Amino acid sequence: MPPSDPSATLVSLKQEEQQVLAEALFSSIGDGAIATDEFGKITRINPTALRILGYNEREMIGAWFPKKIISVHESGEVISLIDRPITRAFLTGKTIAEKAYYRKKNGQIIPVSITVSPIMLQGKPVGAIEVFRDITLEFEIDRMKSDFISLASHQLRTPLSAIKTYSHMLIDGYMGDITDAQKKSLHTIVSAANRMNELISTLLNITRIESGNVTVTPKMVNVRELAEEVNKEHALAANDRDITLTLHAPTKTAPTIFTDSLLFKEILSNLVSNAIKYTPDGGKVTFTVRSRRYDILCMVSDTGMGIPKYSQEHIFTKFFRAHNVVKQETSGTGLGLYLVKGLVEALGGKIWFESTENKGTTFYVALPKTAPTVKNSNNSSNLED
Amino acid sequence: MANILVVEDDKDLNNAYKIILESENHTVMSAFNGKQALKALETFEPDLILLDLLMPIMGGLEFLQHYDLVNKHPGVKVLIFTNMENSPEVTEAYNLGAARCIIKSWTAPQNLARVITDTLENRTETASAA
Repeated sequence: MPPSDPSATLVSLKQEEQQVLAEALFSSIGDGAIATDEFGKITRINPTALRILGYNEREMIGAWFPKKIISVHESGEVISLIDRPITRAFLTGKTIAEKAYYRKKNGQIIPVSITVSPIMLQGKPVGAIEVFRDITLEFEIDRMKSDFISLASHQLRTPLSAIKTYSHMLIDGYMGDITDAQKKSLHTIVSAANRMNELISTLLNITRIESGNVTVTPKMVNVRELAEEVNKEHALAANDRDITLTLHAPTKTAPTIFTDSLLFKEILSNLVSNAIKYTPDGGKVTFTVRSRRYDILCMVSDTGMGIPKYSQEHIFTKFFRAHNVVKQETSGTGLGLYLVKGLVEALGGKIWFESTENKGTTFYVALPKTAPTVKNSNNSSNLED
Repeated sequence: MANILVVEDDKDLNNAYKIILESENHTVMSAFNGKQALKALETFEPDLILLDLLMPIMGGLEFLQHYDLVNKHPGVKVLIFTNMENSPEVTEAYNLGAARCIIKSWTAPQNLARVITDTLENRTETASAA
């Protein structure tokens, strides 16, 4: 027998070592991990994935991933192949991370957090690795958190209702005449109670958005009328600070949209209120409505302090407040734009902005003219009457 | 002027509604939970019931189920006055025959009086917030 080539033996040993290492790594991952070849056939699956899904290894190896691991909507309806993260990872060559539902072998549906990464070789996908985690517990905690916030908000509002009602009764003379100074103080109490109420509403709405429970009740909305209503509600605040609040909306044919009027109004109201708040005295706030082919575009422009470049990518983040704003205006919560973005997305629309520091900002909201997906419909108002 | 049954567990608010509604010359009967309301209805014939939803002993929804508004008292208007905005409970109240729902903490006394008049006269325009 000829002596074996020592360098070849070394390479072979190194390859084997690499394989053992990869195998150990794969098996020791605390989350479910599945590897496929370029056709989507399962080549490797770790014990956690088998435990989560309820299969044994023999049933999985060689099976076609999308067929064996069924992904469904919360309702149980099967998600189409093209919408599966693994398909999109193969098609785009990019890592896809999202939440979904998997159907276990016993039929039980569980929420999972998925990350699929394509394995690329010379620009072509030669396989994929999916790592997923059972997030049933997180879902349950989220639900409990939402229930808690909802109940706590409700309980906070009861004493607030009494404060407001009695203050109004005093102002309106239900308890006899009062002096102007007393009236002024009572108005301050009402105004503070209103601010607290708005904060509770914002928290409630954010809780709904985060838990995916925004109720969308679409109806035909005349956008001009809605915009006029919003401007009217903010006219006093603008006037107090000598800010010119103008509305430009088509008058000949009323721009209409099939959407949830209360959510839409909440979006516009937040944007106009923000624009006024962050515009110096004597400035301008312009609210423009444009009807385009498939959507309605609303633009709220101000001549305010603008958003610094370095803050722009964080502007829709929860609790974020730009530094220049914090310096001048302390009453904001950093929740408004986060809420607005959530509401716009709930209505199937898009929001973006252009801003130059010390010159001003324009926020754009485009909402589709056709109905957004109705997640839940009932007779009640989504937000306050 | 109308007969109004106020069902609200918060004593301060119940008293406030009584003062406001009596100043509008309505006749007001107060109850602090659904059970007390059912008892009061044995002798009091209301045109309108101002009903809170979340109450101890018997809540607003259970009250509506017992009262059987749709079948037995179709002429009586029920106005839900709650802070549980946009909740499944509000939807259920509509299913049980409630005429409309308003949010307590956004409604000033004069608006409450107006909403009650509108509801009694079958007008349905939105109440403006306080």
